[in-house]
Amino acid sequence: MKYKILYAAIALSLSAGISVAAEPDTAAAKPAANTVPNNWAYKPVQQVSAPAVKQKAWVNTPIDAFVLAKLEEKGIKPSPAADRATYIRRATLDAWGLLPTPEEVTAFEKDKSPQAYETLVDRLLASPHFGERQARRWLDLARYADSAGFQNDQTRANNWRYRDYVIASFNSDKPFDKFIKEQIAGDELWPDSLEAKIATGYLAGYPDNYNSRDLVQRKYQIETDITDLVGESLLGATIGCARCHNHKIDKVSQKEYFQLQAYFANVVVNEKAPLPKGAELPVDVDYTTHQAAYQAATKEIRAKQKAILDQVREKGRKYHNERYLTDSRDAIFKPEKEWTPLDKWVNYRTNAVASERDIAAYLKQSAENKKGLEYDAANEPLWAQYEALSKELKKFDSLRPTKGSNTFTTVSELGTVAPETRVRFTGIHEKPLEAVEPALPALWAGANTKLEITPTKTSTGRRTALANWIANGDNPLTARVYVNRVWAQYFEKGIASNPGDLGRAGPKPTHPELLDYLAGNFVKQGWSTKKLEREILLSSVYRQASAERDDVLKADPLNDFLAVYPRKRLEAEEIRDALLYASGKLDPTIGGPAVFPQMPSNLVAGDNNFTGNPLWEVSKDPNDFNRRSIYTFVRRSLPYPLTASFDPADPSHPHHKRDVTTTPLQALALFNSDIVVGWSQALAGRIISEAGASEDAQLNRLYEILFSRKPDSSEKSALKAFLKDEAKTIQARAWTNKFEVAVPTGLKETANLDPVKAAAFVDLVHTVANSNDFAYRF
Amino acid sequence: MTSRRDFLFNTGLGLGGAALAGFVPGLTINSATAAELIDPLAPKQPHFPAKIKSVIWLHQDGAPSTIDLFDYKPELVKLAGKEVPSSFLQGIKTSTQGGVGKLFVSPDRTWKQYGESGSWFSNLVPNIAQHADKLTFIKSSITVGATHDISILKLNTGDLNPGRPSLGAWISYALGSANPDLPPYVVLYNGKSEPRAGSVNWNSGFLPAVYQGTAFRPGNSPIFYLERPELRSDVQQSNSLALLKHLNQKGSAKFPADTELKARLRSYELADRMQTSAPEAVDLSKETDATKELYGLNDPISSGYGTTLLRARRLVERGVRFVQVVTGEPGVDTEVTSWDAHDDLQTNHSIKARQVDKPIAGLLEDLKSRGLLDTTLVVWTSEFSRTPWGESGSGRDHNPWGYTQWLAGGGLKAGFTYGETDALGVQVADKEKAVDTYDLHATVLQLLGLDHLKTTFLNNGRSERPTVVYGKVIKDILA
Repeated sequence: MKYKILYAAIALSLSAGISVAAEPDTAAAKPAANTVPNNWAYKPVQQVSAPAVKQKAWVNTPIDAFVLAKLEEKGIKPSPAADRATYIRRATLDAWGLLPTPEEVTAFEKDKSPQAYETLVDRLLASPHFGERQARRWLDLARYADSAGFQNDQTRANNWRYRDYVIASFNSDKPFDKFIKEQIAGDELWPDSLEAKIATGYLAGYPDNYNSRDLVQRKYQIETDITDLVGESLLGATIGCARCHNHKIDKVSQKEYFQLQAYFANVVVNEKAPLPKGAELPVDVDYTTHQAAYQAATKEIRAKQKAILDQVREKGRKYHNERYLTDSRDAIFKPEKEWTPLDKWVNYRTNAVASERDIAAYLKQSAENKKGLEYDAANEPLWAQYEALSKELKKFDSLRPTKGSNTFTTVSELGTVAPETRVRFTGIHEKPLEAVEPALPALWAGANTKLEITPTKTSTGRRTALANWIANGDNPLTARVYVNRVWAQYFEKGIASNPGDLGRAGPKPTHPELLDYLAGNFVKQGWSTKKLEREILLSSVYRQASAERDDVLKADPLNDFLAVYPRKRLEAEEIRDALLYASGKLDPTIGGPAVFPQMPSNLVAGDNNFTGNPLWEVSKDPNDFNRRSIYTFVRRSLPYPLTASFDPADPSHPHHKRDVTTTPLQALALFNSDIVVGWSQALAGRIISEAGASEDAQLNRLYEILFSRKPDSSEKSALKAFLKDEAKTIQARAWTNKFEVAVPTGLKETANLDPVKAAAFVDLVHTVANSNDFAYRF
Repeated sequence: MTSRRDFLFNTGLGLGGAALAGFVPGLTINSATAAELIDPLAPKQPHFPAKIKSVIWLHQDGAPSTIDLFDYKPELVKLAGKEVPSSFLQGIKTSTQGGVGKLFVSPDRTWKQYGESGSWFSNLVPNIAQHADKLTFIKSSITVGATHDISILKLNTGDLNPGRPSLGAWISYALGSANPDLPPYVVLYNGKSEPRAGSVNWNSGFLPAVYQGTAFRPGNSPIFYLERPELRSDVQQSNSLALLKHLNQKGSAKFPADTELKARLRSYELADRMQTSAPEAVDLSKETDATKELYGLNDPISSGYGTTLLRARRLVERGVRFVQVVTGEPGVDTEVTSWDAHDDLQTNHSIKARQVDKPIAGLLEDLKSRGLLDTTLVVWTSEFSRTPWGESGSGRDHNPWGYTQWLAGGGLKAGFTYGETDALGVQVADKEKAVDTYDLHATVLQLLGLDHLKTTFLNNGRSERPTVVYGKVIKDILA
């Protein structure tokens, strides 16, 4: 089985720098240089102090000592610091996901104070853009979306509240342990806090099909999603493997998997919890006002419709409920006093997804299908009236609020007794085995750790017990997993290179002491993300230049030891946001309901949804086109086309790491999209306004805005030659009948503008914005 | 700074570190083939010689009743109007909506045997019937689920929840592209609406995004952003591309070992070529009238679907590996959209069958006459099928316990039937012969020269394969 050997080889290559390509068959046999034990991540975080180094002057923060010690051991010199302009572009993209302005670059370059870097970093950390950028990474893990997924992919109008909660938490530097507790058990721990309840949107974000006819199986799918979410995002554990079979590499049995799942056995989600009085934001008030206007205008129609449905309601509800499969149906038709905890869950679910549409569907069926058992001639006129009213109602659609809600989504439980959890043979729902109680895998918690579970008045308390165990400074995994993720965000890969798996199959850390130092210090400093990131941003390691070095390529080809700063392509959202920002059009509003920017027209047209709602209604407010990407509506079935090819997060599962693939579809999007052309026009206009008529000044400004530097002389001559040539090309078109060109936009003064030259300049701006120097941060 | 891929490989399209870590275990890698990894879509060698080059995956959305198309049940005709004997319902979960119980037969259904194989076909599919001896029936298909979406996901990705790679994505990953000017995995549909649940059914899941299906939308410009902006002339465009190349070359000269930067430079050249090759691939203007008629383009009901199938043939001719075709709405004004006939099956199926019968027959004939049927696999499949008992008097409910799918193409026993359902078409007759979606996937991969157990990707330390932890090749149908 050759592939098994290769499997081992790649694992080694990640930790020890052995080339897979060169000698895959022998690599596995070589002793690894890394002596870290396989189960390192489950051992307590060690108290470590910074090692002694020779080049003491290079050490800015303790991080540097750990990295430098390894480099000195290998005989590799660290790279010199990047110039200040490169540093500020890098740091601004990493901390905010946006570009620095030329003025910010100049101010930093001119800051002669010994605290210049600290001043810059503190400014970056204090900005609300910091929270927007960090939140995006967390939302990747939380498989965040604004819709439910599956075939109808209904809008979840409240989810933005959870998204804003995450942004606000990073901006206020909420202690990470509290952040965890709120998300797993906010409803149990802080039952009076709206914020803590909204936080449970983390659990509630699972993909769901409201149309499911097998509710018992659906419950299992939901619990599976939540268990895998918590295991992967917080504990860096590929726990999902153990659902179908005992984990082959990490010692987690199938039984232990289901014991973990049992912590979530009683979870239900309320997507329609009313906002408490006084808690409404201006957008909520706005929604309520619109909604009230719509309600008032349609009051009579809706009352008539209800009166019609009331006549068939009982039969209609029964008919609808008969669609559920045998075991779900048994629970639904059972008298409430006989309900088991599982029956309670099934009935809660049935009610949560029930709607007036179900009754209307029955009325239609009973009126139209003469061959059907439900046929009732008396219902024909009722259905005709109902349909006429629906048509009438539709005329008022323009009065409906287009976004937002007056409710919030939260997790809760159905009492203090949970439905039982059973082991499932090979993970298949239809094959239940023994029942299990909540417990932690011995691998994580040791053989005899039993969490004390104290029920609250309304719930089992299981999640509180689990949250307290995870969000604990003594937990060997939680802090390590998180600091490793943050590290990977700045340095392309983690200290243990795969941030999604700290288990035995995952690559071992290249700098185990550094990881323990960061994890220990993180907890010691009150689980402060900002303090952690500040230390990284100020380190000499992070400040290094990214210039290629032959000696490093030879000695450390995978750059495990970080003698060079790793350059990286911008992420999907960074590409869009940075261009939008450069164009001067970015609307800096923080938070609020998700927005619907422009979409290719063939996806807007048509009745693209089961329930009659279009997949995407482009916003009528053009400001919505200019919001940061984190506010773009995440429709699970329709990734936003402009950025979909740039490896964004897949909201189906926790997404640990942004891949970098390079494809022609990306080139087509950036080069041909009207949206990007529009930004190029706006950027060209901005440059002309700011730099004046001088071609040199314009070219300088363009490079300063996009790359935080001026073009060198050879670049400049290429750009000038292009402008000349392009103007000729465009001029030639002027002789045709239809002469239209894309010219700079947003200019106050256009009288002196030569349209041919201006159009050539737009083409230049557009081309430069497509270049590698823009798409990468070095 | 460079990363490990830059050290290992020298030129071409780059791929991120995590992706590379995942690349290795499944396919036999040695220093000679390492060069293939430079370009994630470079053609790769299969595990053993392939029987076919391409797959056309005909997903009949909404679940046709195969006991009304291919699976003739004389016993059902006899017992029509009677209760389902409880012995047929052992071990399955059913709904009672619309009064489950009475066995139902559509009034004007007739059946005939065709070809040397003598396979049965109903009067709904007279054109497909002409190709009886080209088909390999699997009459013992099973799956999980009572709602379309979870079973469609399972049909395409092997899981009931979204997030796993689709079969087409696994194939692009394992075999790469045979034509760099086109995506190796294309999704086609007809009508105005996107297929339900959208891209999760052609997603790359945890595989790199480069392997996801590219939806070719109906119309002349199939890919988003394929056309240059209206106000930009072709000369302006080539000037811009020349400048871009110059700037990118100059930039990447500072990073001579960095293949990712070079790959991005090259991606613009590929895009430029795709701008021509993609519209050409779906342009039917050079097809003869006879060919168009063969695919039913002259009938408004079938013309939309026929167009997608003719496009599918053109894509296969151009080396596209996996073409996933989802049936959209018929091209006439009707309430019938998908095959989902909960009531009035007669109207629904007569329209839907007319929509697909001629185009599918045309595809089989056209592939055969062009010598492509030997190297192409046509898979006629659906998320599940429909019950022999009636629902709402004249319709049928969902049946995941026993139904028919068929294959046609290279490497198969043609004019052959594998497995059967019970006498009424409720469940698979012999559970040993049940064919789940995983088994179908394993068999398709096998025909492409891929061992489904060895087609693996390392995702977060977990070695994943297309068939999850299940799947066996249906050896009995292989030639």
